[in-house]
Amino acid sequence: MNLKKIDVNINGKDYCLEVEENLRLIDLLRDKLHLTGTKEGCGEGECGACTVIMDGEIVNSCLVLAFQADKCRIITIEGIEDEIIKNSFIEEGAVQCGFCTPGMVLAAKSLLDKNLNPNEEEIREAISGNLCRCTGYNKIVSAIKKAASIKRGGDSE
Amino acid sequence: MKKRGKGIACIFYGTGYGNGFPDVSRAYARLLKDGKVEISVGATEVGQGAKTVMVQIAAETLGLSDKDIVLINEDTSKTPDAGTAAASRQTYNTGNAVKIACENLREKILDEAVKLLGVNTKVGLHIKDGLIHVKSYPSRNVSLKEIAENNKELKAEGIFTAQTTQMDENGQGAPYWPYTFASCAVEVEVDTETGEVKILRAKHVLDVGRAVNPTLVEGQIDGGFAMGVGYALMEDIGLKEGRMTNGSFEKSIIPTSLDIPEIEKVLIEYP
Repeated sequence: MNLKKIDVNINGKDYCLEVEENLRLIDLLRDKLHLTGTKEGCGEGECGACTVIMDGEIVNSCLVLAFQADKCRIITIEGIEDEIIKNSFIEEGAVQCGFCTPGMVLAAKSLLDKNLNPNEEEIREAISGNLCRCTGYNKIVSAIKKAASIKRGGDSE
Repeated sequence: MKKRGKGIACIFYGTGYGNGFPDVSRAYARLLKDGKVEISVGATEVGQGAKTVMVQIAAETLGLSDKDIVLINEDTSKTPDAGTAAASRQTYNTGNAVKIACENLREKILDEAVKLLGVNTKVGLHIKDGLIHVKSYPSRNVSLKEIAENNKELKAEGIFTAQTTQMDENGQGAPYWPYTFASCAVEVEVDTETGEVKILRAKHVLDVGRAVNPTLVEGQIDGGFAMGVGYALMEDIGLKEGRMTNGSFEKSIIPTSLDIPEIEKVLIEYP
């Protein structure tokens, strides 16, 4: 297998790596860099558990090859320093088994980075690529609403 | 054309294994040297909130804050068997085992407090904020930490055996104890051309006994509703000659955030 040299910034840290051509981004993150907060669900881009932010956009890291991340900035759940989103998820009870949570938090961050005043429909759209079997989504939607409100400078309601 | 319709369903649902199957939960409670209380329980956290409610139940029973409870769970070398995290049984069954263990430990703690306080009975002794005092005389007190330091080890077990009775040969009887009663109402809009169903609104009312943690109960309602939507409108195992033909999320469709409405939730806590 040919190796490819890539420069990638992950969670603010620069890496210069040699990766196999067929290595998926999720495997680079989990197996090589031990950033195991990113979860693999279906492995075919349907469930969103492996969501990461790549140059500001959310991607399914199971569908991205590691070398495609060359010259990119990646944010994984380990790189989320946003206490407002984290606390809102906890306070609203938006976490149950937790397997979808890293992807949900990243989808929420990606939304709120672009739109601090999303309506209900925009929030549901933003997380519609992330499947959750426990929560029924409503408390995740409430958590994102709450985080948006706090970020706008409002109170928690 | 789009048409609207309303539906209501009422159920009752048995807690625990039921039908005569042995249903036993165990828990240990132990006073630690720093005055905190350790609870050992096999109850598995699967996202339903077992870790949270077991700590809440222990704290309330002992008159402590949740920060004074040290929970050991899911460790088979340290915890007694609490049965499976299934059948909606952990909060009720194992929660009761934790409550009994804490009540037993509380009695042992009070026995020691009687000696240290120099009073003649534990009747009227009260635990609050880690201090034990005579109810009408709070300045005469002893802390759990002092009791722990004065004793080798105080520990207690709690065992809760649920009432389950086997049904008779006609399938009659009362196989479970207790039951949850619930009703759910929805309003939907159906596109008569495509068959697409949109759920416009939903309301759930549940008689849950006492909601130890209402946020967690609501989370269970939301999750259960979403699964129900999937079963009713989308999901199909798609078996062909015993094999699943749609074994991926591409073909086996489950609800997303866009398929679920906001749900109005009402908890009835009786008794």
